[in-house]
Amino acid sequence: MANRTIPRLLQTPAVLLLLFWMLVPLSMTLFFSFIRYVLNSLRRPEWTTPSIENWRGFGNYQFVWNQDSFWLAIQNSLLIVCSILFLTVSLGVLIAVLINRTFPGRGIVRVLLISPFFVMPAVNAVLWINMILDPVLGLQGIAVNGINDFIDGMRTAPVLGGFFSLWPEFEPISFRATQTSAYAVIMMVTWQWTPFAVLIFMTSLQSEDQQQKEAAILDGAGAWNQFRFLTLPHLARPIAIVVMIQAIFHLSLYAEIEIVSRGNGNKNLPYYIGELVNNNIGAASATGIFAVILANIVAIFLLRMIGKTLME
Amino acid sequence: MGQIKLNQVTKSFGDVEVIPPLDLTIEDGEFAVFVGPSGCGKSTLLRLIAGLEDCTSGDIVIDDENVTQVPPSKRGLAMVFQSYALYPHMSVRKNIAFPLRMEKMDQAEIDKKVEAAATSLNLMDYLDRKPGQLSGGQRQRVAIGRAIVRNPSAFLFDEPLSNLDAALRVGMRMEILELHAKLQTTMIYVTHDQVEAMTMADKIVVLQAGVIEQVGSPLELYRKPRNLFVAGFIGSPKMNLIGGDIAKQHGAETIGIRPEHIDVVASGGMWEGTVGVSEHLGSDTFMHVHVDGIEDSLTVRSIGDIAVKHGDKVQLTPRADEIHKFGADGLRIE
Repeated sequence: MANRTIPRLLQTPAVLLLLFWMLVPLSMTLFFSFIRYVLNSLRRPEWTTPSIENWRGFGNYQFVWNQDSFWLAIQNSLLIVCSILFLTVSLGVLIAVLINRTFPGRGIVRVLLISPFFVMPAVNAVLWINMILDPVLGLQGIAVNGINDFIDGMRTAPVLGGFFSLWPEFEPISFRATQTSAYAVIMMVTWQWTPFAVLIFMTSLQSEDQQQKEAAILDGAGAWNQFRFLTLPHLARPIAIVVMIQAIFHLSLYAEIEIVSRGNGNKNLPYYIGELVNNNIGAASATGIFAVILANIVAIFLLRMIGKTLME
Repeated sequence: MGQIKLNQVTKSFGDVEVIPPLDLTIEDGEFAVFVGPSGCGKSTLLRLIAGLEDCTSGDIVIDDENVTQVPPSKRGLAMVFQSYALYPHMSVRKNIAFPLRMEKMDQAEIDKKVEAAATSLNLMDYLDRKPGQLSGGQRQRVAIGRAIVRNPSAFLFDEPLSNLDAALRVGMRMEILELHAKLQTTMIYVTHDQVEAMTMADKIVVLQAGVIEQVGSPLELYRKPRNLFVAGFIGSPKMNLIGGDIAKQHGAETIGIRPEHIDVVASGGMWEGTVGVSEHLGSDTFMHVHVDGIEDSLTVRSIGDIAVKHGDKVQLTPRADEIHKFGADGLRIE
């Protein structure tokens, strides 16, 4: 027994620190979510200090549950996270397989591919929404204008003129609008996080067994079947890791949402919590607990799905 | 059917020619072994036949059909790799079924063939396991099973036993030979181990630096090595090669005499020497004897219970009719 006591004792400080680190914020959130606690109230000044006297039971949860905006935020969170995961993983696998071959300038291409990951989220959002997606000044506006001008010019062309005169004038899309702002967030985060997926998949591809591939070639497997039956299963674990890490990161997106439209149309759970925190700490904490539950459900669900489909 | 012919096949990697023009015919049903030291091009030759490498020039003909440009899967060959190359996430059943699945055979027939192969290889109890849960020998059998179900015109083995321990290796050697006797299919087997070559082959192809040094049955190679390289490579322990004046007396640049063809005599031997290290194997004793006028020590095989110690003097006589003579160019002189 003695030889086990010493290692345990030595581990204790680290374990205690981690427990403290996690348990304190979590239990404070739990506590706040069960009491009435607001930052400012002229009518009920006693609610402005956190105290067990102000016990509200599941009142905060009920309040949040009955808000339409809460459900909208959950819906948006899921839309944004799932879309980003789907896009980054598929693009990541595609690009990783593509650059796994040898070609001149491979080193430079790889560095360039990784570089979006080094851009700060807020900067990324500002760049995308102002310089790329802006309907007037951004690349999008310029491109749409260019296409319109081209079609205009072609309308008077001799043979094809009739064909081009049937084309409508294209309208640039405003990505700050309620209907589209979530897509802007999805695009910019996908751009930023695809390199992360590429990086992980690339290292994994390099450890792929070449003799297995040769065996598959002799067994009559074409390029697609080799990819489907050897490469994809080989990537199952890294894909699970990418999905797990990204799900955790993207459930807490904030900067992009703030910058694109201040939550107009793309409000997710953290943003919703942020708005509640302006005054109602109790409701915000209840939403936080919902967010924790949601994150766990999403993570478990996604991992199960990947495990089933890829491991055969 | 499974006659494989190589006509003037060459292979270069960049500027390096690893296989100079090479001709070779392997007859239908033959068990051919490519043997040579590492880096001699034997694996490259096998990969050329399999189609995993493209020939730089020359033709590969299987059953009178030129397959040089035919993709690997259409050549009707099955290969067993050194690392087994099993698909790690598939069960044994799916591994064996994989080539059939790629042929889009219907499921009932696949099941039938997989079961037949698994029965003949004693794999029935392991069909639902993953390769990671199998021992080395079992994995080897799964790899062979995956080759058998394709019903190939020839099997290619790339050092298939080198990852197994010594005892298992002997067992698998017998299993592969049994398989060959049963299927009567052409097999090409690559190894660097001359014992494996001698025990298994109908025809041994000795390679060095991409060049075929000699082709023949194990006993032909043993009795009449065409040159110094083959003489030194085939046979265990190695043949004693003696140069200098002793060779001159026999009218050769180098003479070779196998350890088993030197007799220890009581007196009046041709050579007198001092015993160095002796290896007692029980059935035989291998003595390393230092003889004046011979640079390297001579390896001599004698009976198992000979009483010699380090430093003893012994009289040796080589059997005159078992002396191999080689000229200055390294070739055999009859």
